[in-house]
Amino acid sequence: MAGKWKMAMLVAAFGAALAQAPAQAAGDAGARVQVKGELVDTWCSVTGIMFAAGTAHHQCAVWCAVGGIPVSIKDKDGNYYMVLRVANDDASVADKPFVRIQTHEVTVDGELIQRDGVKYLFVNTVLDDAGVVDLTHEEYGVAPFGE
Amino acid sequence: MRILVGSIAAIVLALTAGARAAEEWGIDHEKVAQFTARVVDVACALKGDCPANCGDGRRQLGFLSDDGKLRVAAKGSTDFAGAVHDLLPYCGKTIEVDGLLIENPAITIYMAQRIREGADKPWIATTRFAADWEARHGKTEQWFRDDPLVKEVIAEDGVLGIKGLAPPVPK
Repeated sequence: MAGKWKMAMLVAAFGAALAQAPAQAAGDAGARVQVKGELVDTWCSVTGIMFAAGTAHHQCAVWCAVGGIPVSIKDKDGNYYMVLRVANDDASVADKPFVRIQTHEVTVDGELIQRDGVKYLFVNTVLDDAGVVDLTHEEYGVAPFGE
Repeated sequence: MRILVGSIAAIVLALTAGARAAEEWGIDHEKVAQFTARVVDVACALKGDCPANCGDGRRQLGFLSDDGKLRVAAKGSTDFAGAVHDLLPYCGKTIEVDGLLIENPAITIYMAQRIREGADKPWIATTRFAADWEARHGKTEQWFRDDPLVKEVIAEDGVLGIKGLAPPVPK
């Protein structure tokens, strides 16, 4: 499964210029988009029941991904894109590649379908994986429970 | 603290699932929502890509109402877990569900707290993830700390997700 992400990184190496292009505006169902943001656990991030971003929340994001809570990409404007597929891997529940890259900042190319208040994303290609870049633990510790 | 309160609320909910409505959490944009809908594989509903049995637990599930509304079941009543384990047995079936609809302007999600097959059937708390986990791995107080995949990922990348970066000492 990890090979999928390695392949995606190879694509990224050849597609760096593309990755820098501005994201296409979210449009009609089935629109092709590029999205850049942090992989988050949708429940904690949306509900605000705890601080839920960056290093401080990484462990909890792993818990929630393993627990089957949907994974989303949250962009800098606060939009959530719920990921339902990555390339040919249509698993979206406790999928090991998802789990391993929780909290990473990624740039992806995919198909956007909007319905009933949700932006669903079917990822075709991961253009970049910058790893965990939001260093929030100094301010927030480890959320929740402090450890 | 809110997690603790949530955990207590989940336990209370599990014990009283047949007697009371959904538990409010005080989340912004939440409202108690009880409705009847068909359990669906969300990707199937969106794209017509429909493996057998809603993907056998590999795909996110949701509710499709007669009015065409599609709601993702993002959360069940087990701490840090979704509702796929609870809903998969009802793939393609119409059931009644009670929980919290969170219509955040950024995204709408649903927390399924209890389900039943019909008005004459008992409510079932959505705690099947915990039961299934313990059947596979044994008794635990915190599945999320004992889970093998969680342990593997945290052992490799650390609590903060960056190798070699130590977490701050709790105050």
